[in-house]
Amino acid sequence: MLSGAAADLRVGDFTSRAVVPKVYGEALLEIAREDPRIVCLGADLSPATETDLFRDALPDRFFNLGIAEANMMGVAGGMARCGDMPFAHTFGVFATRRPYDQVALQIAYPRANVKIVGFLPGLTTLLGVSHQAIDDLALMRALPNMTVLEPSGPAQVRAAVRAAARHDGPVYLRVRRAEGPLPADFEAEPLAIGRASVVRDGDDAVVFACGAMVEIALAAATTLAGAGHRVAVVNVATLKPLDAATVIQWARRTGVVVTAENHSIIGGLGSAVAETLLEANVAARFARIGVRDTFAEGGSTPYLFDKYGLTAGAIADAVVRLRSRAP
Amino acid sequence: MPDADRAPADLAALAARAHALRRHVVSLVGPLGQGYVQQGLGAADLFACLFFSELRYRANEPEWPERDRFLLSTAHNSALFHAALAESGQLAPELLPTYCVDGSTLEVNVSERLGPVVEATFGSLGQGLSVGLGMALAGRRHGAGYRVYVVLGDGEMQEGQLWEAAMAAGSFGVDNLCLIVDRNEMQVEGHTDRVLRMEPVASKWASFNWAVQEVDGHDLAATLAALARARATAGQPSVIVARTRVGKGVGFLEGQYGHNMKFSAEHAAAALAELDARGPAC
Repeated sequence: MLSGAAADLRVGDFTSRAVVPKVYGEALLEIAREDPRIVCLGADLSPATETDLFRDALPDRFFNLGIAEANMMGVAGGMARCGDMPFAHTFGVFATRRPYDQVALQIAYPRANVKIVGFLPGLTTLLGVSHQAIDDLALMRALPNMTVLEPSGPAQVRAAVRAAARHDGPVYLRVRRAEGPLPADFEAEPLAIGRASVVRDGDDAVVFACGAMVEIALAAATTLAGAGHRVAVVNVATLKPLDAATVIQWARRTGVVVTAENHSIIGGLGSAVAETLLEANVAARFARIGVRDTFAEGGSTPYLFDKYGLTAGAIADAVVRLRSRAP
Repeated sequence: MPDADRAPADLAALAARAHALRRHVVSLVGPLGQGYVQQGLGAADLFACLFFSELRYRANEPEWPERDRFLLSTAHNSALFHAALAESGQLAPELLPTYCVDGSTLEVNVSERLGPVVEATFGSLGQGLSVGLGMALAGRRHGAGYRVYVVLGDGEMQEGQLWEAAMAAGSFGVDNLCLIVDRNEMQVEGHTDRVLRMEPVASKWASFNWAVQEVDGHDLAATLAALARARATAGQPSVIVARTRVGKGVGFLEGQYGHNMKFSAEHAAAALAELDARGPAC
């Protein structure tokens, strides 16, 4: 579970987080040692994006471009056109909303082999409205040629980095850092671009979830099982291209569809699922869990998730409500 | 200046090239009734120096890895750019009449639909220098011999991203990067000073740790010398602030601040007649 205010404080503390494993930073460094095309770009957030590991290990392939994200995206495009594979890092808002035009014209349009990595997804930060990426998935989905990934958590991060690097073209990778030591039974999970993964079976309803909401959806499914609802949970780690076949299959099988995302309900996973199902003529009872077309404020992650309805309770309520409704 | 890889400049030949470019610009925009004729005429001398002396490229091998990278941040100066490609053997001349025709790859904002000879697509102003910096950093890291040339409109200096790139380039000290500011003092709403005060331009760049030169952008010899000095500059990016006059070469167009100017077939015919009567200026 998301662990609370203390962890969030460290997100905004741009010094080292010694107790927290740098799952992303290690994965990037590992693959960079294998692939000399990979260069690391940053905008004054090396520790917070875990790229201090890359900086210290491969300094001649590391470029801190300062607090200047628009320029960073153009530089990344230029490097990609010269054969490099830039990974460009900052917080999600500053990777998408701020340099959108540069990302569109210098990365998406030419299919530049650039990986844009955005941290602090959704409401997982104390830093408030300025730092909360609640529309990054929507913005990146809207760009032609862009692949959009959000691993469910630290277990899927390494696979996400490797999948992004294997993909020849632009990728937006939304990353949430680990909040504490990894559990003793930590096991890396796979991620294949374009494939959703069924993480819990069930015939009565399906929850399509991404990122932090996968774990919360699983908790909701456990609660619902106690009340006799058999709820499937599907981890949709690729928001674009969406795994339409899996979405359609599980919507048809259950007839009750809930989406859950740490993001606005507009333009992200909920929209993608709805678009897919309508165009496929799949009728299903449907609800979206997410930030309901509003800006939030600074606060601890548990507080904000509770206040804005990103909870297992909200998912469970939606399932029960939809199931009680006539098909 | 160390100029071993370039033939000595033949100024008369360059002037003839500039003249040919001006004829193309007028001929390309005339049939459209409107377009970027003023910028094209104004920058024709700069483009002649770049495409026919300074830049290293292979006309039949657009993806030659060691080619110099040329980026036109002012992508709307497209009549001139397409003309320069055609004159330098990088674009089939018979394609020029398709300029701005629906479906053509010769777009009013130059795009990479044209092919690899277009290194990147701009049109959204202020983006060229960032891409050029990326190419310069990559080239330096790879030990490549190419240089990166970015042509920037002076109005683009109003874009914030430009100064992000300027600060980064000055900080990284990429000396394989040369920026040419086409200081024609014109933007959409007229003279740049009517919009925002631009001066002092040169000292802005100097304060960002660039090697700065100011040059009369219609003086071919001076422009070539500035480009050569930029090539010889170590440890700093170079900027050449080239003062140009919009509409240069046609009396009734010179100094007319028309960004996307009405330009009828009659205007074009008169302009061509004047260009032909004057001949190449040298």
